[in-house]
Amino acid sequence: MRATCLLLLAAAGLGCAGSGTAPGPLHLTAEAFGPDTRLVLEAAPHLKLNARLAPALELTDGSRLRFGAARRTADSAYFAEPPTAVLPGRHARVHGTLRASVCRDDEQVCRTVTVQL
Amino acid sequence: MPRPALLLLFSLAAAVGGGVALETASRAQAQARNPLLNAPPLVRRPAPAWANRSWLNSDHPLTLSELKGRVVLLNFWVFTCYNCTNTVPSLVDFDHKYRDQGLTIIGVHTPEFPPYAGEHDRGNVQRALEKYGIEYPNAQDNDTRTWDLYGIRYWPSFVLIDKRGNIRYEGYGEFHLNDGSYQTWDGRIRELLAE
Repeated sequence: MRATCLLLLAAAGLGCAGSGTAPGPLHLTAEAFGPDTRLVLEAAPHLKLNARLAPALELTDGSRLRFGAARRTADSAYFAEPPTAVLPGRHARVHGTLRASVCRDDEQVCRTVTVQL
Repeated sequence: MPRPALLLLFSLAAAVGGGVALETASRAQAQARNPLLNAPPLVRRPAPAWANRSWLNSDHPLTLSELKGRVVLLNFWVFTCYNCTNTVPSLVDFDHKYRDQGLTIIGVHTPEFPPYAGEHDRGNVQRALEKYGIEYPNAQDNDTRTWDLYGIRYWPSFVLIDKRGNIRYEGYGEFHLNDGSYQTWDGRIRELLAE
């Protein structure tokens, strides 16, 4: 079985917040970005996001967004800042599948996290 | 600009195993915590037969049965995995040292993401083999069938199979030329070659 954990977004909790606390290792914020919506994917301090395999959001309409960031770690393997993606238009809710390749600081392996939004 | 942020909270503790990591942990310390890498020999069990059809660095699809009499090291990897590519120099070294003595290393290239990420593309895999100087055979495991068959969970992972086709050692995690884990795997390979 692949190292994939499929979790449901609890209650689709899309309440507005300027800066929320994130109890989980990853969290995604969506904010207005001009006429569009900017998604920011953040990892908990003990997690690194694989920049060689940029996180992806597969939307229910079949389109895909890939997350990116200008700053990477010195070895260029991981994002050194939260990667972002811009979703055209304003969206109060996001539905789709989020995939991220993550590495814990205390391990020397990669694993995939898949989340249904 | 107003910044009404919409907060989406994930509870992914199960996915990442929980616990707070030590950011200053060295590679050696991390590997020391790798339970499989340092585990005693497993109970011998027959290695399941893979059936991958797309191979690189091989003129035909290799089968487990034709490798009876050789020691086989399976390396589950993907070129987008930094931990995997960091381990390649050690595997290339093993290949150079032990191929003529009876070791066959097989890279089982298993994508993490769906095809849009490019990991399924044979040309991309070929370029990765060239980039990292990999001359040992590689099977494309695009449907993850071999990954599933062996119950693999992480990139990179390793399965060492003896000359009779039994799994003798398994492990996972990056290692480097001549570090402790390298020495462990080197010893295991030599042990099985000597049988």
